[in-house]
Amino acid sequence: MRIVDTKGQLCPAPLIAAKKALKETTVGESFIVLTDSKTSFDNLSRFLKDNKAEFKVSESDGIWTLTVTKENGDRVETKVEDYCDPVISHFEKGNYVVAITSDKMGEGDVELGQLLISNFIKALKDLDKLPQHIVFYNKGVTLAVKDSPVIEHIKDLEKMGVEIHLCATCVNYYKIENNVAVGNLSNMYSIAEVMASAGNIVRP
Amino acid sequence: MKVDLLQMVEYGGCSAKISPKQLDEILKFLPLPKDPNILVDIDTQDDAGVYKVNDKLALVLTTDFFPPVCSDPYEFGQIAAANSISDVYAMGGDPVLALNIMMFPAAKLPMEAYADILKGGFDKATEAGVRIIGGHTIDDFPPKYGLAVVGYIHPEKIITNAGARPGDSLILTKPIGTGAILAGHRLGMVSESDLTEAKRLMKLLNKSGADVMKKHGIVGATDITGFGLAGHTLKMAKASGVTIKINMKDVPLIGNTYKLIDDGCIPGASFRNLDYAEQDIDFATDLDYNLKMIAFDAQTSGGLLMSVSEKIAGNVIDDLQNNGLISAAVIGRVTVKKEKYLSM
Repeated sequence: MRIVDTKGQLCPAPLIAAKKALKETTVGESFIVLTDSKTSFDNLSRFLKDNKAEFKVSESDGIWTLTVTKENGDRVETKVEDYCDPVISHFEKGNYVVAITSDKMGEGDVELGQLLISNFIKALKDLDKLPQHIVFYNKGVTLAVKDSPVIEHIKDLEKMGVEIHLCATCVNYYKIENNVAVGNLSNMYSIAEVMASAGNIVRP
Repeated sequence: MKVDLLQMVEYGGCSAKISPKQLDEILKFLPLPKDPNILVDIDTQDDAGVYKVNDKLALVLTTDFFPPVCSDPYEFGQIAAANSISDVYAMGGDPVLALNIMMFPAAKLPMEAYADILKGGFDKATEAGVRIIGGHTIDDFPPKYGLAVVGYIHPEKIITNAGARPGDSLILTKPIGTGAILAGHRLGMVSESDLTEAKRLMKLLNKSGADVMKKHGIVGATDITGFGLAGHTLKMAKASGVTIKINMKDVPLIGNTYKLIDDGCIPGASFRNLDYAEQDIDFATDLDYNLKMIAFDAQTSGGLLMSVSEKIAGNVIDDLQNNGLISAAVIGRVTVKKEKYLSM
């Protein structure tokens, strides 16, 4: 088995050696990293854990031996951290942005309009391709409060990776800053940036 | 004799700071002095202390010193001085006076190196309009240098890290990556051009950024140094009682910093900073690991981080770029406080 001896080396040298070995090792194979520094050992452990590499540790006479086994795929994927909520798994996104500008959908009866906007937001979750962003402005921001009928759907969309932007000026204007339950407060510059870079803008 | 200061140190620059976690535990036991004239103290973990003299004048006090970040003594002096003065700029003050703080191994290094470090500090201070009126040297190994700086500020025009408001955009004035570049340089992994650019940025005074802040009446800012972009942003979010979202993809990086991190060149200080801050951070599941670690890269003499109201962000960026801060960019936004103080 390949042995990466980093004794006498200080960070980041041991990490560099370990990362190189990880890249060069094929899936299912193992290699050993040696270090004589507690700090380097701690940082190596953290680094390998974050890089989703399996490893076992033994220590004797101030020398740490990490036996690392490379898992999954030929690329070292450096994603998923388990710090936050369990997130609904991967969803594909289309090149479009949804702008919610009112708490109703379409002209006409108020109650019907409110029902329609709820159904619309709920339906977004079922589309093959989710929007990149949903921008709420003017009366639209009132849908993002705690007791909104669609709050759970908007939260789901956020967990699915859709960025939710609420117009900060509007949130302040309608005095709902203490009730907002989802999304990020965005200034008009960010909103304009999001909309200007969208392939399409969908306005229900 | 050509002196190479880097041969003498394990950690250079702000990487050599004590762990913020340890620092917090020690500071808990030190009572804060009570005095109505103390306008800013360590309570909000701000960059410098501010003491009111009268209704029109307050003093900004700060100090910073560290072991060498580069081989050349003159350049080290310039960088250390720019870094020390930066805290005054971050608070919106005008730096005025300074004292040298020096530790120098007289038996191990020629006295020319000593003189060159001081000359570098003197020239940088002069550029900032600061008069160095004294100092103190101790015979010690390895060398360390910095300044204790006093600045003037109007008591009602203090810029603090408690001034971020929901809806603000977050602007960073200098690209990051000095920690990784300095560590990589010592392992022969960094190109000459990236090293030169990192040194240029570390020597660059935050004066031009501070002038733009004052022009636009910005009230919330800090500078990015040893605790990294994430660490200093977190302090700002806590002091302001808000949540800040950093878009790591928008954060400007020096040269090939990303490649360096991808090769595993992650300095020990990054792990210390991560360890300190991660409990307050919501990491997106698709956040790239390398970008995450870059957020914790300890900066030496890093840029200003400003919280700017929505209306003026575009103008502020224009002004910064017109003043030579060509990498200045909006890197995040401020929202009402959510579960975690920081998300990225």
